[in-house]
Amino acid sequence: MEHMGIEKDRLHFSWISSAEATKFIDVVTQVTESVKALGPAKKFVKAG
Amino acid sequence: MSDWEPKIITFLCNWCSYGAADLAGVSRMQYPANIRVVRIPCTGRMSPKFVLASFMNGADGVWISG
Amino acid sequence: MLTYAEKIRELSAQLLREDKVDMVIGFRKGSLPMSNEPCMVKNPGDADKLVWDSNCGVNLASYLTDRKERIGIIAKGCDSRNINTHIIENKIKREQLTIIGVPCTGMIDKRKVSNSVDFDIIEVIEEADKVIVKGAGSEQTFDKKEVLRKNCEVCIHPNPVVYDEMVAEKVDINQDVDRYADVREVEEMDSDDRWQYFEDLLSNCIRCYACRNACPLCYCPTCFVDESQPQWLGKSTNATDTRGFHFLRAYHCAGRCTDCGSCETVCPMGINMRAFTKKLEKDCLENFEWQAGLNTEQRPPLDSFNPSDPDAFVK
Repeated sequence: MEHMGIEKDRLHFSWISSAEATKFIDVVTQVTESVKALGPAKKFVKAG
Repeated sequence: MSDWEPKIITFLCNWCSYGAADLAGVSRMQYPANIRVVRIPCTGRMSPKFVLASFMNGADGVWISG
Repeated sequence: MLTYAEKIRELSAQLLREDKVDMVIGFRKGSLPMSNEPCMVKNPGDADKLVWDSNCGVNLASYLTDRKERIGIIAKGCDSRNINTHIIENKIKREQLTIIGVPCTGMIDKRKVSNSVDFDIIEVIEEADKVIVKGAGSEQTFDKKEVLRKNCEVCIHPNPVVYDEMVAEKVDINQDVDRYADVREVEEMDSDDRWQYFEDLLSNCIRCYACRNACPLCYCPTCFVDESQPQWLGKSTNATDTRGFHFLRAYHCAGRCTDCGSCETVCPMGINMRAFTKKLEKDCLENFEWQAGLNTEQRPPLDSFNPSDPDAFVK
């Protein structure tokens, strides 16, 4: 994805166990912030 | 665009992260509401197609969690 | 090269006569210069149709998928690696195959040739390492090195990795090539430039799917582009759909692509779609020390777990 020109921070991977609610929240927050920082996606969005 | 909020399509494994999300909800924890959750039976169900389809349909971000 | 063809005919006829195989998959002369076409020979008498020269760029492993017959197949380096990939993926059994190995000296890029002459090509003759191109009343000679396909220029596996018969001595391997110069060039760009690079690369694509059909790895009964419920991609030449197609096709080839160049050879528009697959090939080599199809024992990186995986999130 990154090689093709999609910003790296738009795609995230993680591994969270079902008992790790706090980690879940940490990751949600971090993912949201990094995508927010990039602004709206313009590439790859199909027009119309 | 100050009030713009990103849309993040989130793929969660039923047994891991979906459980964590559920627990977070039950424990009444606060977290950003930008994620749109798709529950998958296992992260093995994940396919690059899904990521592509999300972006093509206007997602600002994609997060996959097992 | 000519001796290769004779030896191939002789071996194929023999295999068919002795009833060791039901057919031999090889190349015969095409109707246009520089366009040999794959063919299946079933009678020993027809073995004379088989040819071998520097226009056999298409990967013959594509014709093996789910075959039940006993097959003789002519394989250069990349074909043999794809045969291994087919065996690993249970698409053919090794016992069914008699592999006639051909040490490859590289295949020529017909687009390079036709772009460098200003007449209509009527005939192309090869002599040692020269390529003689003839038109009506004119003639031009090239060094074969100059008109090689891009993937053949950087090939490090010209000799078959698996074979039953060999038609000639193995050729020397040029290990001293920079295989990934083009990938690094893209890696150095920022994300907007990369986006533009691929936008330009694919702007000519007409979505004919010749690359998919020629690819030995693309054997899904229903390709994702043909699926309609859900429809992942539109059918037109919309830039986003086109990119989606090439991008996903490349992903399907991750850890399996042998850089045989079939896709590029058959493309009617001359698009270098190897720019996608090559990056994944490079990643496989760097992260997993994996090169596809070198043997049938090792499992490919995408179906095995390794504790030393470079990505932290899977541990």
